[in-house]
Amino acid sequence: MLAAFIQGPLVRIIPVGLVLLALQRTLLVDFKVAGVVIELLMATAAAAGVAGGSERGAIMGFTLGLMFDLVEGTPLGSTAIALTIAGTVAGLLALVAADPQWWLGALFVALGTAAGVLMVPVVRLFIGENHPFSSDLVVVVIVTAAAAALMSPALIPLCRWCLRVKQVEWKQPLPDTPL
Amino acid sequence: MAIYSVGRRRVILALLLTSALLLTLDLRGNPFIDRGRDAVSRVMDPVESAVAVVTNPLERAWNGIVNFDEVERENQALQDQLDRLIGTQAAAEAAVLQAQEILALNNLPALSGIDTELAQVIGGAANNIDQVIEINKGRSSGISVGMPVVNQAGLIGKVTSVTDTTARVMLVTDTNYAVGVTVTAAADAEAATAGESAGESDGDGTVITSPSGLTPEEIEEQAEAATSTSTTTTTTVAGGTEAPTGPPTPETTLPGGSDPVIPNFVDPVTGEPLTQEQVLLIAEGEALAATEAAAAAAAAELAATGTTTTTVPVVVRKEYGALEGRGRRLLPQIRFVEDNPSLAELTIGDLVETAGGSTSLAPPGIPVGRVANRADRPGSGGPLLDVELNADLTRLNYVRVVLYKPLSEVGES
Repeated sequence: MLAAFIQGPLVRIIPVGLVLLALQRTLLVDFKVAGVVIELLMATAAAAGVAGGSERGAIMGFTLGLMFDLVEGTPLGSTAIALTIAGTVAGLLALVAADPQWWLGALFVALGTAAGVLMVPVVRLFIGENHPFSSDLVVVVIVTAAAAALMSPALIPLCRWCLRVKQVEWKQPLPDTPL
Repeated sequence: MAIYSVGRRRVILALLLTSALLLTLDLRGNPFIDRGRDAVSRVMDPVESAVAVVTNPLERAWNGIVNFDEVERENQALQDQLDRLIGTQAAAEAAVLQAQEILALNNLPALSGIDTELAQVIGGAANNIDQVIEINKGRSSGISVGMPVVNQAGLIGKVTSVTDTTARVMLVTDTNYAVGVTVTAAADAEAATAGESAGESDGDGTVITSPSGLTPEEIEEQAEAATSTSTTTTTTVAGGTEAPTGPPTPETTLPGGSDPVIPNFVDPVTGEPLTQEQVLLIAEGEALAATEAAAAAAAAELAATGTTTTTVPVVVRKEYGALEGRGRRLLPQIRFVEDNPSLAELTIGDLVETAGGSTSLAPPGIPVGRVANRADRPGSGGPLLDVELNADLTRLNYVRVVLYKPLSEVGES
């Protein structure tokens, strides 16, 4: 069991998650764009989906979400659900291309992040909070998605390392190559 | 690249269900989760400190670039404000002392009599939903969940979770925040309207009226008659402060009784402490004397000029409601206010303060803000009032935690 843990992704996800969480709680709280806090953990979960597929994206999102909820004092599991969705959506979108270009990866990360950000108020609504949909939700979604797209060139390789995913090695066959 | 399969779908489903289960456990209250939070916070502290050390220069550079002009403008505005405030400080201090004396007489809790703990803001909300801040004082400083948090401008929020050295504060703008408030309105609109029908108003409560049906002599006679029946006395407050007195009047014999004795007030004749009832009688007598003095002055002015300058008494009315946060960028709103126009017409600019009460988490009298907008609802529901907060929640640095427990909880600790 210990060997499985060491060889599994958690041994890398947790320390990386601690650093990302610290960045989220210190630097990014002040680095607001149009008054919106950039959601680094959400972008990381989506990037994990693009790098390792929906399952690994969900695992990364779930782990980071639980850490966030534990530290931030938000209802435990509420952010985990949103980040799991973000990783899953980005992973599902990444299925359309076997080895997406950097810009396509950025687009998938942005869309996954947008889905996750939209899920946060939905979850809060289900747990009985009043008015979870803020008036500037659209702005929040756009800004966080754009920021996630910009960060994706750094986040996707980081997630590959965390999840022990090797870059795809196959090459597209030439047109005249016999099958 | 990843391939979607049934097995993978099961994993995702399992994670979502686990989240839902944890959510349910946490919402129902679970000591293991609370301990888990404490443990993770302890682990995060050194990591966060290290990251803060690395990122501080970046943060400062960013703030320097982005906020310089704004900070300069704000500095100039604050200097102007400071100059104005210095001018009014002395008057404000005197008013506070008077208010404390009155509150002591009535055994009311006042913010000035409650200890506070100064704390620095060390963090904010790390997402776009919650409106919270983190402060650098916690359980070890006597802070506990529910205590109100204020700054110099007014109410900021309440403590929602505490560790030994830190506490999280839910801001007034959070959608989960609610507190009982009073809307203090001046009910002089009717009086002013009546005054305007007979004369002119200068806009600050002073109405110049034309002569009424009474002759100046008659008014003077009435004023003299009223003065001759006044009853007041001089009260010496321990500590050298003398309570204000009216015009020279006969001594009054104070009724005895079994009321609780107020130690700071003594009878100047006998030197014995006065009871609460006796002090209230004195206060009523002084108020009557002041009214009569004003009437006499008005009569003298009427005799001299043929017109009277009457200061319309501003009657303060209070309406009670619940202030609720509505998220960032939306002003908090007061709901369930019973608007009774015969008492007070709630208007833009009215003051909003905490209402207090035996179960309220905040003591009465903490300034919250002013009414910024009013929207009437159909039916019996009172109006909705948007409240512009006194405190600027986007620029919090030092705050004070009011170490207050509601009366209903005092015996439990």
